[in-house]
Amino acid sequence: MGNHADGGWLSQLEERSRKKQELFMDGIAAKLGRDRVRSAPEHPFRGAPDFWHEFQWPLEEKITQFTANFEAAGGHAVRVSNREEVSRFIRDKALEMSAATILRQREEALDLLELEESLPEAMILSWNEAADTDWRAVAAKADFGVVMADYAAAYTGSITVKSAPHKGRSVSLLPTVLIAVIPVDRMYTRLGEILFQFDQGGREQLPAGIHFISGPSRSADIENDLTIGVHGPGIVYAVLVDSYE
Amino acid sequence: MNTAESKAHSVKERAGYALNNEFLRNAVKFTTERLRLGKKLASEEHGNWDEWRERGRQIRLHTIAHLDYYLNEFAEQARANGAHVHFAETAEEAVALSLQIAEHKSAKSVVKSKSMVSEELHLNKALDSIGVEAVETDLGEYIIQLADETPSHIIIPAIHKNRYQIAELLSEEAGETLPPDTAIMAGFVRMKLREKFLEADIGMTGCNFAIAETGSMVLFENEGNARMVTTVPKTQITLMGMERIIPSWADLEVMATLLPRSATGQKLTVYMSGISGPKRELDADGPDEMHIIIIDNGRSLQLGDPEFQELLNCIRCGACLNACPVYRHIGGHAYGGTYSGPIGAVLTPALNKNVAEWDDIANASSLCGACYEACPVKIPLHDMLVSLRRRKIEAGRGDKLEAMGMKGFSAIMGNAKRYRSVVSLGKWGQKFVVRNGEIRTRIGPLKGWNSYRVTPSLPKQSFRDRWPEMERDIRRTSGQMEPEIANRLKERLQQQKSRKGEDSHG
Repeated sequence: MGNHADGGWLSQLEERSRKKQELFMDGIAAKLGRDRVRSAPEHPFRGAPDFWHEFQWPLEEKITQFTANFEAAGGHAVRVSNREEVSRFIRDKALEMSAATILRQREEALDLLELEESLPEAMILSWNEAADTDWRAVAAKADFGVVMADYAAAYTGSITVKSAPHKGRSVSLLPTVLIAVIPVDRMYTRLGEILFQFDQGGREQLPAGIHFISGPSRSADIENDLTIGVHGPGIVYAVLVDSYE
Repeated sequence: MNTAESKAHSVKERAGYALNNEFLRNAVKFTTERLRLGKKLASEEHGNWDEWRERGRQIRLHTIAHLDYYLNEFAEQARANGAHVHFAETAEEAVALSLQIAEHKSAKSVVKSKSMVSEELHLNKALDSIGVEAVETDLGEYIIQLADETPSHIIIPAIHKNRYQIAELLSEEAGETLPPDTAIMAGFVRMKLREKFLEADIGMTGCNFAIAETGSMVLFENEGNARMVTTVPKTQITLMGMERIIPSWADLEVMATLLPRSATGQKLTVYMSGISGPKRELDADGPDEMHIIIIDNGRSLQLGDPEFQELLNCIRCGACLNACPVYRHIGGHAYGGTYSGPIGAVLTPALNKNVAEWDDIANASSLCGACYEACPVKIPLHDMLVSLRRRKIEAGRGDKLEAMGMKGFSAIMGNAKRYRSVVSLGKWGQKFVVRNGEIRTRIGPLKGWNSYRVTPSLPKQSFRDRWPEMERDIRRTSGQMEPEIANRLKERLQQQKSRKGEDSHG
C-alpha cells in the first residue's frame, strides 16, 4: 500500500475519532451530571503524600540502599572509583563470559571507555552508527549491551534510561547481559525525584521511550518457580562510579 | 478450562469442578498465599501504607470525577506526540478498529503483551478470523494460549497449570520432548518468541496508566515482553480502558508505589516504561506508527452511579483475589468472566450490564471485607457485592430465602445493640447467617441468604469438611471488620430505605 493511500485512511480515521471524542466526553459529563470541564481542574492530591517529599538519604546511604535493592531483585551492583575501573570491569566481564559482540549506546561518555582498544577480539558496535543496518536485529544477537544510566533511584533500586537517536531502547533490552554505568551523582533517593523532572520539562521534552529497570528480566509463571532472563537480559550489572571525569 | 468445565453454566457448577481438582486448589492457594504475604511484607516495610492508599484513592477519585477533562487532554497530548488515537464504545468497535489497522498494514502476525482489555475483546479469535496470527508473549499467557484456555489469575494467568502439563504443551510446539524443568522451558520460550518478535508486523499492548498531561502511556511488567512489543514491531496498537488515566508523572509515583507492592510485593516491577508516541524521526527503534484505542465497553455505565463509580478506580493489581478466601478455594475460572475474584464478581456484571449475571457471580463471596482491606485504592468491593445482590432482589430475581436474609440484614443494622452483638461474632461471612430472625453461628453460612452460593453443587459433606478451613482463612486474613466499613454499610442501608424499589443500575 502506498503512503498516499495510507495517509488518506489515517486522516479519515482521525476525523472519525475527533467526532467520537466529542460524543465520548459529552457522554461522560452527562453521566457525571454536569457540564463539560474544559480547563484543568484543581488537583489537590497531586503526587505522593507531603511527608514523602522530605525524605532524602545522604549519598552513601543511597548507594547502600540501591545496591541492596538491586541485588535483592537478582541484579549485581559494583562500585568503582573512576572511568578506568569501569573500562576494566567491562573488559574483565567480557573475557570471563567470552562476549563476542558488545553493543553500546553511541554516547561520548562511553567512547571514553575505549572498549575497542581493550577488547580487540570482540566486535564492539555503537547504536545507530550506520543508517542501513537493522539495529534491532544487531541488538538481538549481541552478548553485552552497555548503557549510561540517565538517572537511578535508590529506594526502589531502579536505573532509568531515555531513548534518543544515539540511545536505542533495544540496547538495554535485547542483549543477554546488560551493563549500566551509573555515575553516583545521577542517583536520587526516590522515584518521584526523577518523575518530577518529566512533569517539569513537559511533553515536548519527553523521548519516545523512558524505561525504569530494576533487575534482570524475570517470571514466576511456571509453578511460582522464579526464572531469570525470560525475554530481557538475564544478567544485569549496575556499575556505580564515583567520578566519571 | 477443560470441556466439561467450560460447559458448566454457573459459578456453582464451575466451582464444583474447581473444588474437585486437587492440584488447582493447592496451586491457587500456594500462589495467592505467596503474593499475599509478599504484599504484606512490602507494604509494612514501606510504611504509612494507609496514607498511601488514601492518596491513591484520592488521585483516582479526582481523575474519574473529571474524566472528561483528563481523557480529552490525554487524547490531545498523545496526538501531539504523533500517536493515532481512536475511541471505541463497544468491544465490537475496538475489534473492528484493530482489524482495520492489521489489514491496512497487511499484517501476518501480531505479538501481544498481557492485556486484560484484550481478553475482554476476545481479540485473538478475531485476528485469527482474518488470517493474522496473534502470539501472546507473556510466559503465562503464552502457556494458556497454547492450551487454548483463559487466564485464571490477573497477575499469574497460568496459575492452574503444573510443570508437566506445561512441558507437554511446549514440547508439542518445539517438536521435541522438553523436560519439565523451568529454566529449560523458559529458555525454549525465549528463543521461540524472539523469532516471533522480530518477524511480527504489529505489537499490541494494554495500558496500566495513561498520563493526561503528556499523552504518555505506562506499562508495568517483569519479563520484558511488553518492552519488546513496544520496541521491535513497526506498528504498535495500545488497547486502553477509558479509565486508565492519571493526571501527571508525579501521580505515577503513587501508583508505582501501590501497584507492584500490592500485586507481587515488589518495590517496583523489573520494568516500568513510559511511552510517549511513536519513535522520533531519527530513532533507530520503537514503532513507526502508534495507535491508541480508548475503550468504553461498559465502563461509563458506572459513572454517576454512587454505588459503583469507584469500580473505575481499580488499578488491576489482583490483591483482592489473593486476599479472598473464596477465590483461594475455587480459582479464577469458576467466575466465568474475564476478571475473577472480588473485583471480577462486581466488574463482570457491571461491565456487561447483564442482570442474569448477577444470579451467581455476586454470591461467590463471603462478604468478609478482606478485599476492601487489601485494595490499594480502597474500593469498597464488599459494599458493592451487597448492592448487586440488593439490586437483584429489587429486580425480582432473588429467592425468598435471600429476601429474608435481606430483612435480617435490616434487622441487625437497624438495632444498635443487636448490631454490636453481631459484629462481635466476627466477619460478615458469619454475620450474614441470619435466618428467620435468628443467628445460627454453626452451620449458618451454608444456609443463609448469602450462603456462599457455590456450595449447593458440592457434596455437602465435603463442603462442611472444608468450611472450618475457609473460616480460619477468613479470620486470619481479615481480623475484625473496620468500623469504617460497618459505618458505610449502615449508611448505605439508610440510603436504600429512602430510595426503595428503584433500580438505577444497568
